[in-house]
Amino acid sequence: MTQTLKALGQLAILWAIYQGSTWLAKATGLPIPGNVLGVLALFGLLCLGVLKLSHVELAADFLLKHLVFFFMSIAVGLMEWGSVFYNYGAVLLAAIVVSAVVPLLLVGCVAQVMYRRRA
Amino acid sequence: MSGHATTLFAIGLTLAAYVGMRRLYLRYKHPLLNVVALGAGLIITVLVVLGIPYSAYVPAKDIMTSLLGPATVGLAVPLYRHRGLLVRFGPAILGSVALGALLAMLTAGAIAQLGGLPKDVVMSIMPKGVTIPFAVEIARICGGIPALTAAFVVATGTLGSLIGGWLLTLARIQNPMARGLALGTVSHGQGTATALMEGEQQGAMAGLAMILAGIFTAGFAPLVAWFLGMMG
Repeated sequence: MTQTLKALGQLAILWAIYQGSTWLAKATGLPIPGNVLGVLALFGLLCLGVLKLSHVELAADFLLKHLVFFFMSIAVGLMEWGSVFYNYGAVLLAAIVVSAVVPLLLVGCVAQVMYRRRA
Repeated sequence: MSGHATTLFAIGLTLAAYVGMRRLYLRYKHPLLNVVALGAGLIITVLVVLGIPYSAYVPAKDIMTSLLGPATVGLAVPLYRHRGLLVRFGPAILGSVALGALLAMLTAGAIAQLGGLPKDVVMSIMPKGVTIPFAVEIARICGGIPALTAAFVVATGTLGSLIGGWLLTLARIQNPMARGLALGTVSHGQGTATALMEGEQQGAMAGLAMILAGIFTAGFAPLVAWFLGMMG
């Protein structure tokens, strides 16, 4: 019971940071999503010591473990977009394959070379 | 069914699909057993069979995704836990992830644009290398369609986790750190799951790369969108 209450309190902290960041993104008109600002804000607060890991990790770990749950209901929206795949299947496939393979190899090579130079 | 009953049914259906598919994945751990793709496919099938339109599912979706924002902010927790790696390998990590994120957006966007896809589809595919909550918001800002973006994200993640490890081995990239960074940058959470199966070091790097790629992609998106606009 106390664990549940603690997790809910931590959820309130995450929620407040998310709301604050979303508001900031809107208020400043920055073309950056509020959730990206929220990650940076929480990371900053943890680094500065304003928040400790123990203040948020119970709720954060639980939510991250089930993050995929939230994605499912977004993907259901595909119901309305089947024709896009029917009409543009080949171009979409080419775009997805090339844009996965090229950066994969590039990141691997660059990181390996930089690591060796440093070592 | 009345509106509330449909919403309750949709939430129950989504929870059941999630629990079932998650169990299936945890049992076999095969990249093709993707929880998002199979779960959404199952839900869509049930809705179509029962003649429930997507618009009737939307209230349930809105309720269920209300915690997605706070959950995404929670990604700062693993980032902070691995800050030691960031301090030690800062330039290698930030440099390679930034380059990879930029190249992924440019290649995906340029091929889609040259292939004659409508602008909203191009903007939906551009950020597909990063985890869904970031990708969806980036697409929304640039004029894309969230559901399409989610599908492209899952397709990319599945591809990366199916052949990513094999391709890296083929290209003689053996360094665990480099492998983790490549998998996390290109195929987000699904690549991170694959990297974790290779080892803890690969997994930690992939987790970092996934979050950083999301941040870089958000930063680059307006520029890449502008560039693609000039092309078309």
